[in-house]
Amino acid sequence: MSVLAVHHLGVSIGANALVRNISFSIAAGECVALVGESGSGKSLTCLTPFGLSPGVASGAARLGDVELCEMAEADLRPLRARDVGFVFQQPLTALTPHLTIGAQLEEAAMQAGAPAPSRATLAAMLARVGLAAPEEKLAQFPHRLSGGQRQRVMIAAAIAHRPKLLVADEPTTALDASLRRGIMELIDSLRREEGLAVLLVSHDLASVAAHADRIVVLRNGEMVEAGTVEEVLRRPQQDYTRALIAATPKLNGPVPDLPAIGAPLLEARGITVSFPRPGWRRGRLVAVDGASLTIARGESVALVGESGSGKSTLGRAIARLGPCDAGDVTWEGRALPERSRMTPAHRRLIQPVFQDPVASLDPLWTVGDIVAEPLHYLGQGRSEEKLAEVLAAVDLSPDLLSRTPRSLSGGQAQRVAIARALIADPQMLLLDEATSALDVLVADQMISLFRKLQRDRGLSLLAITHDLALARLLCHRIVVLDAGRIVEEGRAEDVITSPAHSVTQRLVDASREAVV
Amino acid sequence: MRALWIIGGIVLAAILGPFMLPWGYDVIDWNWVRAPAFTQGHLLGTDSIGRDLLARTLVGTRVTLSVAAAAALVALVIGVAWGAVAGWVGGRTDEAMMRVVDALYALPFMFVVILLMVVFGRSILLVFLGIGAVEWLTMARVVRGQVIQLKTRPFITAAEAAGAGGAAILWRHVLPNIAGVAMAYLLLTVPQVVMVESFLSFLGLGVQEPMTSLGILVKEGADEMDIRPLTLLVPGGLLVTILVCLTLAGERLRDRFTA
Repeated sequence: MSVLAVHHLGVSIGANALVRNISFSIAAGECVALVGESGSGKSLTCLTPFGLSPGVASGAARLGDVELCEMAEADLRPLRARDVGFVFQQPLTALTPHLTIGAQLEEAAMQAGAPAPSRATLAAMLARVGLAAPEEKLAQFPHRLSGGQRQRVMIAAAIAHRPKLLVADEPTTALDASLRRGIMELIDSLRREEGLAVLLVSHDLASVAAHADRIVVLRNGEMVEAGTVEEVLRRPQQDYTRALIAATPKLNGPVPDLPAIGAPLLEARGITVSFPRPGWRRGRLVAVDGASLTIARGESVALVGESGSGKSTLGRAIARLGPCDAGDVTWEGRALPERSRMTPAHRRLIQPVFQDPVASLDPLWTVGDIVAEPLHYLGQGRSEEKLAEVLAAVDLSPDLLSRTPRSLSGGQAQRVAIARALIADPQMLLLDEATSALDVLVADQMISLFRKLQRDRGLSLLAITHDLALARLLCHRIVVLDAGRIVEEGRAEDVITSPAHSVTQRLVDASREAVV
Repeated sequence: MRALWIIGGIVLAAILGPFMLPWGYDVIDWNWVRAPAFTQGHLLGTDSIGRDLLARTLVGTRVTLSVAAAAALVALVIGVAWGAVAGWVGGRTDEAMMRVVDALYALPFMFVVILLMVVFGRSILLVFLGIGAVEWLTMARVVRGQVIQLKTRPFITAAEAAGAGGAAILWRHVLPNIAGVAMAYLLLTVPQVVMVESFLSFLGLGVQEPMTSLGILVKEGADEMDIRPLTLLVPGGLLVTILVCLTLAGERLRDRFTA
């Protein structure tokens, strides 16, 4: 018998029917994945039957033999407490900062009316989700834990009361590739060993392919296709599903043609960055330790590593957008000045594109002002011709010029950020996880755009990423960073086919899942 | 936003009202001393020396509100400048500047204002300069926090990459983005200043007779509350209404910008 059976589920908010006619069922130990781009209704579909979204559910959703739709909130609450566990996307914000891990876990375990668990039981729960030194962690506060550890704590809390169903809403989206894999394997083992049914929401086809049993593809609130992973991913029936699969970066497939490389452009030697230790402790935390890097004209280099490896810090130190304790950077043989001495003429050479597209645009400015801003500092004033030219280069309609960032989609906002980077005619782009916050389809469009810029403008790229499949599509070379040091460096294809360092192997393994 | 409408009404009445009354706030009607309400054109009666209570209340409101607005503006200017510089520069400068704020916070500021009064003599200018100079502390802390939060946002780094210097970023990106929060706290500062001004006037340290303020009127009313409660209730009620409305409007704005 199925743990959760959804029949012709619809969700509406006010007069808007946002989700229509969705049906699927999950048996014990099974994992069903809802897949689709943002706004496709995945989260509404999985949260509304349990009364956790502002939407109103219609149709039928049965948990065991209880009908959830039309149930009052007061009746749903004990049901959620007893039979369902939830894991959300943001492990950083889903834990209460002022309570210890132990206290939060205890609360979770007691929500179904169970007696207070002993410390040993709590420690066992943490051990269950693969956390080392569980006794110690019980007394710690959330900020002491890394993102991956926090997500494990969230899962421990979600299954503390032994639910039958785990609803995981993008549980790994905020994590890097190797942590992502660890979390998914943890969920797999819970399914195997405790017969937990899992409803997974994701836009990451790669991890779905590796961990789910069945897939429901959603688009604009409707079911496009459903079936086993094999059926849907190997023999997709619908164009939309095919587009999603095609857009997912892969480690195999044809090696892309990259433009030819010219003379050396940028040379960074012995870059070292450290931060003061937090709190009252003395001494400094070394984030980047004597890293050296060269980039030639037209060359693209990927800086890969796990979260906290210092790749972003190194990228920013090179572009003079972050602190840099020691080491120097030369541009065509001449030294770049330190951060506070950079003139607009220096700045125009290297332009950044950041991870969160909307946050990288001033919310009060119009698109036109944002894109033209670099011209202002170069003393050129706003030029409508140049604006039109860069907007055309990033495929944006000139109608957007008077809009504000709030009214843009993620993809549009990222194009605006790229247009701003291009307007002063840079020679190198610093892509700081520039596609990782975007939907698969949008990210794919961005990759095509970067490839076009590489080809047409001869731009060099320094791409900071944890995604090797992406690195392979864009970059000639891959540089692997671990704990602030460069541990491996080589041609993209060579690094991926024969990784030498253990970190590289881990990243390659995690990305291998992308083979759909 | 009903609170803002009420405030708007009170402000309008305080500005225009005195011109529409037959009695000036300092004119003594020798025929009617301590007149009850609704006698001979004195809608709210007169005070103990025959001055029209309505005229005095309206002028008092005007004085109280303008002192409050001026003091809040002083607080805004000092607070935003101090907080923005401390938050933006950061490090030791920030530490030093915020310790100054902490030290000033620790002073019993009512005492400071009273001292200033005693030393420099009483003047309405000194009242609001004094109050404003102390009320900026909260504003400075709030603004500093906002600036520190904004500093790490990607669009600030993007502006740096576009070639903007520190001053340009602060002026073009940071300050406009904290304007909303600063406005909200400005609105929350006003009732505090109203309270301080009223308190000083109540003690006889604020504005001088025959000029009046809500604080003075409350004090005068308190002297006669057992025989003519209206003289206390009218200015008192108005004061409470102003305080409540400003606080509600300010909190509403603050929640909107900090949520």
